[in-house]
Amino acid sequence: MKIAKYPFAVLSAALFTVMLITPITSISNLIWLSSVDMPVGIGSAIEVILFDFQRLGIALYGVIVIGFAIAFTVAGLITRFTSFGGKYLYALAGAVAIWLAIFLMVELLFQTELLGGNRSLLGKLFHWLAGFFGGYFYYHLISHDKNYTFIVRYLSVLYAYILLGIVLNWVFTPSDAAMGFGFDLYELSNEAQNALIRDFTSFFLATFLFILLGAITLNYAWYYSVAIIYFGAALFNLVAIYIHETGYNNIYISEIILGAWPMLLGLTLYYKTKK
Amino acid sequence: MRLNLYICFLFSTFSYSTYQYETVLDELDDAWSFVFLSEDRILYTEMPGKLKVASLTDKSIIEVTNVPDVQYVSQGGLSEVILDPNYKNNNRIYLTYSAKNINNKSTLFLMSAQLIDNNLVNKKVIFEAKAPRRTAVHLGAKIAFLNDGTLLLASGDGFDHREKAQKLDNHFGKLIRINTDGTIPEDNPFIGVSDALEDIYTYGHRNMQGLVVLSSGKIYEHEHGPKGGDEMNYIKPAKNYGWPAITYGIDYSGAVISPFTEKEGMEQPLLHWTPSIAPSDMIFYENDVYPELRDSFLVTALVSRDVKKVIFNEGSYNQESLFSELGMRLRNIQDSPKGIIYLLTDGPNGKLIKVIPKNL
Repeated sequence: MKIAKYPFAVLSAALFTVMLITPITSISNLIWLSSVDMPVGIGSAIEVILFDFQRLGIALYGVIVIGFAIAFTVAGLITRFTSFGGKYLYALAGAVAIWLAIFLMVELLFQTELLGGNRSLLGKLFHWLAGFFGGYFYYHLISHDKNYTFIVRYLSVLYAYILLGIVLNWVFTPSDAAMGFGFDLYELSNEAQNALIRDFTSFFLATFLFILLGAITLNYAWYYSVAIIYFGAALFNLVAIYIHETGYNNIYISEIILGAWPMLLGLTLYYKTKK
Repeated sequence: MRLNLYICFLFSTFSYSTYQYETVLDELDDAWSFVFLSEDRILYTEMPGKLKVASLTDKSIIEVTNVPDVQYVSQGGLSEVILDPNYKNNNRIYLTYSAKNINNKSTLFLMSAQLIDNNLVNKKVIFEAKAPRRTAVHLGAKIAFLNDGTLLLASGDGFDHREKAQKLDNHFGKLIRINTDGTIPEDNPFIGVSDALEDIYTYGHRNMQGLVVLSSGKIYEHEHGPKGGDEMNYIKPAKNYGWPAITYGIDYSGAVISPFTEKEGMEQPLLHWTPSIAPSDMIFYENDVYPELRDSFLVTALVSRDVKKVIFNEGSYNQESLFSELGMRLRNIQDSPKGIIYLLTDGPNGKLIKVIPKNL
């Protein structure tokens, strides 16, 4: 666990930083939209912030993980071989990592700002600040002993984060979400549209909440619940293909992965608790 | 007997639904646009800053001299070329290109010049976009003549400057209307409007790369959206086309640009392509060489690697994919004086491809 603590601290700090960075772009966009008299309300603001956290965040996550991995390794070496160190060194390393990552993204990708929130000086400052807090959070994670529950919680939150995209699509833009499943929502009757939206939304929202509840309570029953739902989906997908002859698709592979992931977490908790 | 009929039907359908192609020119270096000087001679641009005359019969290519210096980087370079409606008498052509302005910033220029003996003379920059940017991206750069002899020019949003498309004090995300000498027509829609540049015709655009004026005078335009939200618009003076306050696309990064797709006072597209096809050029085909294409818009696409045949009919539209068997990123489309369609492929080692009419 001692060795695993560091990579999982990097992964966790990067996710935390993504959570801080994505609203910078969302809010700067919303402020501009308000300035040109667009009807920005609480609903549309939440929609933008959540979508950006998921879609923009996932795009940024890998970049931040790489940046943090390098920056925190350097900070660790400085701590080990010099008299400098401590939380502010890691915080500074986080800020530098974000600055460099965004700088390279601009210079290597058409010399344009892909992050809308980074186009102003204030926006740049907030991005560096997010990196600073990310580094601080990393230091907090590595300065305490961790056991297996740290990894279980990280993997649960990551699972929920990935699932969040589908949940948001069904909540805010069901026609787009339906298109991803091969339906043209508007070609269906009102009753069928209603059934599709309510059932799919509750299916994904429930599993999203179950896994978060599992991360909070560390009760393996929540993980088993998610696993049963997705294994069930995979099973009945195959039933649909081979018995009801709906035609082959390979979505069952994703469903098996989405079932196996919480199942493994649940089993880990079960056996560790038993020991 | 019945079997024979089936076979006849099968082959007649096959021949009707496919075209044959002939590569007329190849090894073109990032060619962007072309125009017919005659049935077998074209004038075409290459982004690095070359303007060339090519014979489609003997394949000979002559480089035009005295071409303006351009900034060939990213999406910038020598872009559009069109002929003056009175070209036969005045030999005048119009070119768009990206170059650095006096402040060392990249922007869009429009030049008029006379093409005499494969040499450009009497060159004059008739428009410089007040749209300075760090690098040459999202320039638009399309030009078309309106039926009254004025010029319409597409000036893109510069990517990093998208919000400025909603302001009238700059040329980001605008259609510009000027006279051929660079002066501003007296009936332009924003003349006398405070804080508005008087050469603006419409605003709220992104990166427009299709611009067509019909013989009826109606203007149609298409523009690249971000991820999704490529649009085709019917252009009316003084109108706001909404970018980036309303859009059907999201940012390349995945971020939401706007949660809104419509607002009063902002025009809706005639159609939008989501996911993006990356529309790159457009003609309105009015000839009879390909009867099945008559009176339709033909839109070349870079991402979907085909030509979209689009027909509008009282508020609705029909769309069909053509030439997808070529499997190439298509940059430009033109029909010759006799109505033969030619396609220009994108990138280095580009090709000019002739679409053989079915009856030949």
